[in-house]
Amino acid sequence: VGKRACAVRDDEAWELLAYLIASAELCTTEPHYYGTFRLIEAASRLMGFILANSVASNAWLAEFKSEVDEKKLWMLRDREAYFNFLKEAAAKLADGMTREAKTSEQG
Amino acid sequence: VSKADVDRREADANERAAAFMRTITTRRVVRDFSAKPVSHSDLRDVLTAGRWATRGSNSRIHRLLVVEDRQVIRQVRSFSPGMLGVPATLIVICTDPDLAAEAEVQLDRDVTPWIDVGTAAMNMMLAAHAFGLGSCPVTSFSKSAVAVVLKLPSGVVPEFMLQLGHPAAKRQPVARVASVTTLNDLVFWGTYGPLRTGC
Repeated sequence: VGKRACAVRDDEAWELLAYLIASAELCTTEPHYYGTFRLIEAASRLMGFILANSVASNAWLAEFKSEVDEKKLWMLRDREAYFNFLKEAAAKLADGMTREAKTSEQG
Repeated sequence: VSKADVDRREADANERAAAFMRTITTRRVVRDFSAKPVSHSDLRDVLTAGRWATRGSNSRIHRLLVVEDRQVIRQVRSFSPGMLGVPATLIVICTDPDLAAEAEVQLDRDVTPWIDVGTAAMNMMLAAHAFGLGSCPVTSFSKSAVAVVLKLPSGVVPEFMLQLGHPAAKRQPVARVASVTTLNDLVFWGTYGPLRTGC
């Protein structure tokens, strides 16, 4: 990923901070797999902020966020598929970041 | 009373029961809401449904706080990981310790108040669905943080939040279903165990 400025507004940063702190509290009482859900949801929110504030459009990130938003809900109904998606998600992000870095270098 | 009257009453009752079962079986959790406000007429009906819920010992130790200020709802959402959308309205079911003391309910030992929260919530969710509104229960939130955001009096605990609003136009992704609990899975007849079958 290149070094372009990527603005996340103050209120968005605070919102994410609150979400993470509240999630940490909930992780003390909720089933362990909910911790993964809180993290993937935080990632989704961060992607939303990046997409809303970036000057350049980012199709792959928008697509990845959309996929995360659909598949995160599998946690409620099909945990095995959800866990498999989590295993794929990091690799997908790495692939997208690599392609993004190449684009930045060329651009 | 004529037989025709009896038949008509029975037919009316069957129709009402069928409509009620349709309301129950077609309700789904709604997580994406439009910005359209919930009318106070609908809201009052939903709240009335909560009011009519069963409660242990006929005690009333909960109060319902309606939140419609979008800014406040967003602040609440920040501390509520279980709240994925931004609803037009939030109904917060709060336990009032003074009311509990008056009713001699021991909050640290009695689980009945939790059941009362559930019955009120379910009534309101069904009523919301009947009025064409979407709803989603929220239990995953920081009670201490939400109490601060909502400026609750000391000791009053936000136990449960109901997101309420008009469903967003965009269709929500359909959740995968790995397994479905059937009535046979759920119910044992007479003796606890999986080998019995009933009607």
